[in-house]
Amino acid sequence: MKKIIELKNITKSFDGETPVLDNINLDIYDNEFLTLLGPSGCGKTTLLRLIGGFETPDSGDIIFLGDRINDVPPYKRNVNTVFQKYALFPHLNVFDNVAFPLREKKLPKEEIEEKVLEMLSLVALKGFEKRSVTRLSGGQQQRVAIARALVAHPKVLLLDEPLGALDLKLRKDMQVELKKIQKQTGITFIFVTHDQEEALSMSDTVVVMSEGKIHQVGTSVDIYNEPVNAFVADFIGESNILDGVMLEDYKVRFSGQTFQCLDKEFMKNEPVDVVVRPEDVDIVPVEQGQLTGVVTSVTFLGVHYEIIVDVNGFKWMIQTTDFVDVDERIGIELEPDAIHIMKKSEYSNLYGDYSSFSNELDELSEVEEEDEDE
Amino acid sequence: MTNKKTRREGRVAKTSYYATLGPYSLWAMFFILVPLVFVAYYAFTDNNFNFTLEHIQRFFTATSQVIQSDGSSKEVYTYLVIFWRSLKLAVISTVVCLVLAYPLAYIMARAEPKVQKTFMTIIMIPMWMNFLIRTYAWMTILQDTGILNNFLTFFHLPGVHIIGTEAAVVIGMVYDYLPYMVLPLYSIMAKMDVKLIEAARDLGCNGFGVLRRVIWPLSLPGVINGVTMVLIPSVSTFYISQKLGDGKFFLIGDAIESQYVANNLHFAAAMAFILMVVLLVCMGVMQVLTARHVEGGK
Ligand SMILES: Nc1ncnc2c1ncn2[C@@H]1O[C@H](COP(=O)(O)OP(=O)(O)O)[C@@H](O)[C@H]1O
Ligand SMILES: [Mg+2]
Repeated sequence: MKKIIELKNITKSFDGETPVLDNINLDIYDNEFLTLLGPSGCGKTTLLRLIGGFETPDSGDIIFLGDRINDVPPYKRNVNTVFQKYALFPHLNVFDNVAFPLREKKLPKEEIEEKVLEMLSLVALKGFEKRSVTRLSGGQQQRVAIARALVAHPKVLLLDEPLGALDLKLRKDMQVELKKIQKQTGITFIFVTHDQEEALSMSDTVVVMSEGKIHQVGTSVDIYNEPVNAFVADFIGESNILDGVMLEDYKVRFSGQTFQCLDKEFMKNEPVDVVVRPEDVDIVPVEQGQLTGVVTSVTFLGVHYEIIVDVNGFKWMIQTTDFVDVDERIGIELEPDAIHIMKKSEYSNLYGDYSSFSNELDELSEVEEEDEDE
Repeated sequence: MTNKKTRREGRVAKTSYYATLGPYSLWAMFFILVPLVFVAYYAFTDNNFNFTLEHIQRFFTATSQVIQSDGSSKEVYTYLVIFWRSLKLAVISTVVCLVLAYPLAYIMARAEPKVQKTFMTIIMIPMWMNFLIRTYAWMTILQDTGILNNFLTFFHLPGVHIIGTEAAVVIGMVYDYLPYMVLPLYSIMAKMDVKLIEAARDLGCNGFGVLRRVIWPLSLPGVINGVTMVLIPSVSTFYISQKLGDGKFFLIGDAIESQYVANNLHFAAAMAFILMVVLLVCMGVMQVLTARHVEGGK
């Protein structure tokens, strides 16, 4: 695969002190759907703006198809952006918005018309040419923004949380559609989101970031199954993260028990973080359990139950289709492939215990966030 | 939920808005419309307040002799010449104001809030001064032995003769009316979404392209406002031309003033009326043209 963009030791700070991007190294390949994933404020937009040419790095190089482009202005870069709030030109109609980059290139009229109409049909907006962009719904504006950014066939399309403002249903549709458009056009997409589900479902490559650093780069499956540290394990999906000690290859001890696992090449008796996904935990009768605990809460979520189990003070989250009752004592069994071992990091002990977990609290805070957005 | 609430509050606000509008519209009617009606009434009546077109006619037909540079004299339409000259100087001043104000407003709108405030104060300060004083100040600057020429001779540069030329009148008008151009431009540019400028750059525009294809069309309403607010007072301006133009460029405002002072109220009103009609037509044409331009995209 051909490298299209290389980021080398990129550092960026706005106040000259706290780095917003801290030594970023990343290779982006031709024709891939790459997602920058991380919590709000971790530097995703800044990284995208560096690639688009709206910021320059304090140090490090941005290489585009072999050339250093640190100081190349945006209009000379073969990269286009779908902005967070679309940034459509309010004085132009749908057609003229999409035609904007083509007119700048002074293409002949017929060619412009042909390309614009082709793009509008790609984003399912045929027949809207004459419509004012101010009279479109959010989803339609989104499509115009995508068409406008794609019409000049850039090598790379940058998308900054493009689905953030859409409601859930529309969001799911657009996810599928974006993926389809990327396949059809063969253009490299660099997509920014703070929604891990969105990232996992759409991307060829996921880049997990926090606090201006890249933690892990990999396929969705890699990232989910083999998170490199407690931050990634916690940010991507649900995780029980426990303190453990690697006794020897394939043998780890935690919660006072020794378990078989598939990991090796740690030092003898090296302290580690142990990740167990809630859906990988088997519930067994107490006498067969490697661990035992008391159920403290049960939440029905449609496909499965989500239960919290207190095992000697550490609260596990388990997803199961079996019904158990609150206060029931159950046994827990872990297959070797349910266990993933990570090296200790600065994020150890920050995540992965569900003692303060409450579904209701989560929902409440989500509702509040939505209100603020309005 | 939030939506419904604000909508209901909006309705309440609207009702009381109309309620307060009643007395206000009476007030506005009295102080804005009544004088206009009087101007029209005087324009079409003679000294005994009988209807006449005499004054209107006089404006278009009165002639006088002017001495040309070769010594021969020529008959010209007195008031049409004055009117044309006023219009010309007003348009020049308006264009100069626009050219000066546009980049200034843009820079202001993009500056930090503190810098914006400072700019704003500097622009407003001259407005706190009486315009007679301002005009006198310019006289002392522009005179042949004034500050400007002293400055030039100090650096051994040739002096300039400005006072008594059209340029001096234009300088005076631009100085007086520049704030009225800057403010509407500034307010529309401050509201402009920076992301639109970034989007244009992203889509292939260099600096000039961004200006031509995004900033300019989006700022048109501000341009219209600014042009209106500068053109109208500069067409009807008086005194500036008397002082800075050495009395050589009699403008329509001066003509109206002198007729008024000479107690020819009816002819003064007729000129004011014609000026008003011409300006209204100009503004109307401009509105239609730009509305079409702005809507062109819709
Ligand atoms: N123009 C700017 N000036 C100062 N600080 C900025 C600027 N842009 C972003 N930041 C800061 O940089 C950090 C990362 O921002 P951003 O890249 O927007 O994060 P994300 O897109 O991941 O939410 C934030 O702390 C933000 O406050
Ligand atoms: Mg962002």
